Amino acid sequence: MFSSLIAWFGAPAQWSSASGIPVRLLQHLGYTALAVLVGAVIAVPVGLYIGHTDRGRFLVVGLANGLRALPELGVLVLFVLLLGLGLTPVTLALMLLAIPPLLAGTYAGISGVDPAAVDAARGVGMTERQVLFQVELPNALPLMVAGLRTATLQVVATATIAAFVSLGGLGRYIVDGQAQRDFTQMAGGAILVALLAIVLEVALQGLQRAVTPGARRARSGSRPPTPAVGTSDVVTAGG
Amino acid sequence: MIEFSDVRKAYPDGTVALQSLSLTARAGEITVLVGPSGCGKTTTLRMVNRMVDPSSGTVRLDGVDVSTQDPPTLRRGIGYVIQNAGLFPHRTVLDNVATVPVLLGRRRAEARQAAGELLERVGLDPKVGGRYPSQLSGGQQQRVGVARALAGDAPVLLMDEPFSAVDPVVRADLQDELLRLQSELGRTILFVTHDIDEAIRLGDMVAVLRVGGTLAQFAPPADLLAAPADDFVAGFVGRDRGYRRLQFVGTGSLTLQDFPTTGDGWLLVVDDDGRPTGWRQGDEHVALGTVHAEGGSLRSALDAALSSPAGRGVAVDDDGRVLGGIEPEAVITLLHASSSPAPEAVR
Repeated sequence: MFSSLIAWFGAPAQWSSASGIPVRLLQHLGYTALAVLVGAVIAVPVGLYIGHTDRGRFLVVGLANGLRALPELGVLVLFVLLLGLGLTPVTLALMLLAIPPLLAGTYAGISGVDPAAVDAARGVGMTERQVLFQVELPNALPLMVAGLRTATLQVVATATIAAFVSLGGLGRYIVDGQAQRDFTQMAGGAILVALLAIVLEVALQGLQRAVTPGARRARSGSRPPTPAVGTSDVVTAGG
Repeated sequence: MIEFSDVRKAYPDGTVALQSLSLTARAGEITVLVGPSGCGKTTTLRMVNRMVDPSSGTVRLDGVDVSTQDPPTLRRGIGYVIQNAGLFPHRTVLDNVATVPVLLGRRRAEARQAAGELLERVGLDPKVGGRYPSQLSGGQQQRVGVARALAGDAPVLLMDEPFSAVDPVVRADLQDELLRLQSELGRTILFVTHDIDEAIRLGDMVAVLRVGGTLAQFAPPADLLAAPADDFVAGFVGRDRGYRRLQFVGTGSLTLQDFPTTGDGWLLVVDDDGRPTGWRQGDEHVALGTVHAEGGSLRSALDAALSSPAGRGVAVDDDGRVLGGIEPEAVITLLHASSSPAPEAVR
C-alpha cells in the first residue's frame, strides 16, 4: 500500500499533466475560496448588523443549527437539478456550509466586545458607523477569523463533492478511484485533502493571532518585553 | 452650566427611572449626584450627552436645549468618563486619548502630541502612551479615561462612577488628582457616585437622590452634614457625620496654649528651628504623630489633639514651626461658636 502510494505520488505525470496534482489542488482551492468568499459576503454583513443592533439574534441560532443539519450531497444534487451542472450549484452548496460558522463568529465577535468600550465610543461622539468600524469590528476580528477557520476547514473537506457532479478538484481522485477500484488513488486524494486542510488551518491560525488586538504588538516584534509600569498610582505628577 | 428642568424618565415597561428632577449644576463647579442604586443618578447624567433622552422635561447646556442637537456632535463637546474607563482595547493609550481630537478632524500626529502632554497632566508617565490598555493597572486605566475626556478641551465633564472599581488607596489618589486638576482647569463637572464620602470630598454641591428618582436634598457638603433635610438624607450621610462635618469648619479663631518647657508631664521636643520632632516624658520617647497645619480644618485640629500623648495637639505654621498647643475643649468651643448653616443653603 505504502509503496504503491509512493509510486502514485512519484509518477512524473502526476505533477505535470492537466489532471495532475497541482491542477487538482488549485481547482480544489478555487472552489473552497469561492464558496467561503460568497458565504462571507452574505454572513459577515448580517452578523455585523445583528451583533451591533442585537436585533434578529434568533436568526444566528436558527441558521447555524439548520444549515449544519443539511445533508451536503443531497443539497448539491438538488441544486444541480435546479440549475444544471456547473460551478454555480457546487458553490451554492458549499456556501451553505460556510455561512453558519462565519455568521456565528461575526455575531459573537461583535456582541462580545466590552460594553464599556462601546458605551465610551458612543459617549465620546462616534457615529454608529464609527462605533461599528473603529471599535467593534477591530475587537471582533479574532472571533471572526475563528469563524473563517471553521468555515474554510469544513468547505475544504467537503469540496470533494464537486467531483460527483463532474467538476475537478481533489475529489476527482476519490470519485475516480472508487469507480476504478483504485484504492491507491483514493487514498492519495484523501491524503492530499487532509494535508491541504492542515496547511490552511496553520495559515488561518497565524492570521487569527495577527488580528488579535493589543496583545500581539506587545508580545512580538523587536521591542523588549514590557517592564512593570514605572509610575505607580501613588505617585502624582507635579503634586 | 447644566440645567435640568422637570426632567422625567419612564421606560415603556412602566419603570420610572426619574420622577421629576430640577437641578442646576453651576459652571466651573463639581456637582455630585449621589444616591443608592436605582435612584436615577446615572440616567440623569446620561441625559446631558443624550445617551438617554428624557420622556419629558428639558436639559440645557449653557442655555441650549440638548435635544435640538445632533448626538455625536454634542458628545464631542462633552468629556465622558465611565466606570472601568471603557478604553478601546485595540488602540494604544496615546490613540485612546487622541480619540476626540481625531474625531473633531485634527491631524493624528498633532493629536498624539497633545495626548502625550495630557498623560503627564493626569499623573502618568508619558512612556505608557505606547502601551495597550490591558497592560495598565485599573487606576492607570482610569487616569487614561480622564485624559481622554480632557483631550477635546470640553468645558463640561460627565463622570459616571469613575473611581468605583479601583481599590480605596488608589481611589483616594484619583480623587486628590481630580481636585488638583479641577483647581487648574475649572471645568463644569457632573459626577455620579453611590459613595457619600466621595460626594462630600469632591462636590462643591451635592444632590442626594432617593430610589425612584426624586431629589432629597441639594446642598454644599458641609450643609448636608450639618443639616440633613430628612431621615433619608441623614441615614445616607452616615453615622459619623458630626465628626466629618469638622472638616468643613475652619480654625480661624482657635485658641492656642503654650507647651510646658519643664516638669514631669509630656514635653514637646523641638529642633533648633522650632520644628517639633517628638514627645518625651522622663526617659520615654513617643513619635510626633499628627500635627495640625495652620489654616487646616477643625477635623485636623481635633485629630492632632486626640492623638497627642499629652492631650494637647501641636499646631504648626507653614514652615512647620510650632505655633502652640490645641486643647480638645478649644475645638469644641469653636465648633459651638461657628454659626449653624444658613437656612437658604438647604433646599
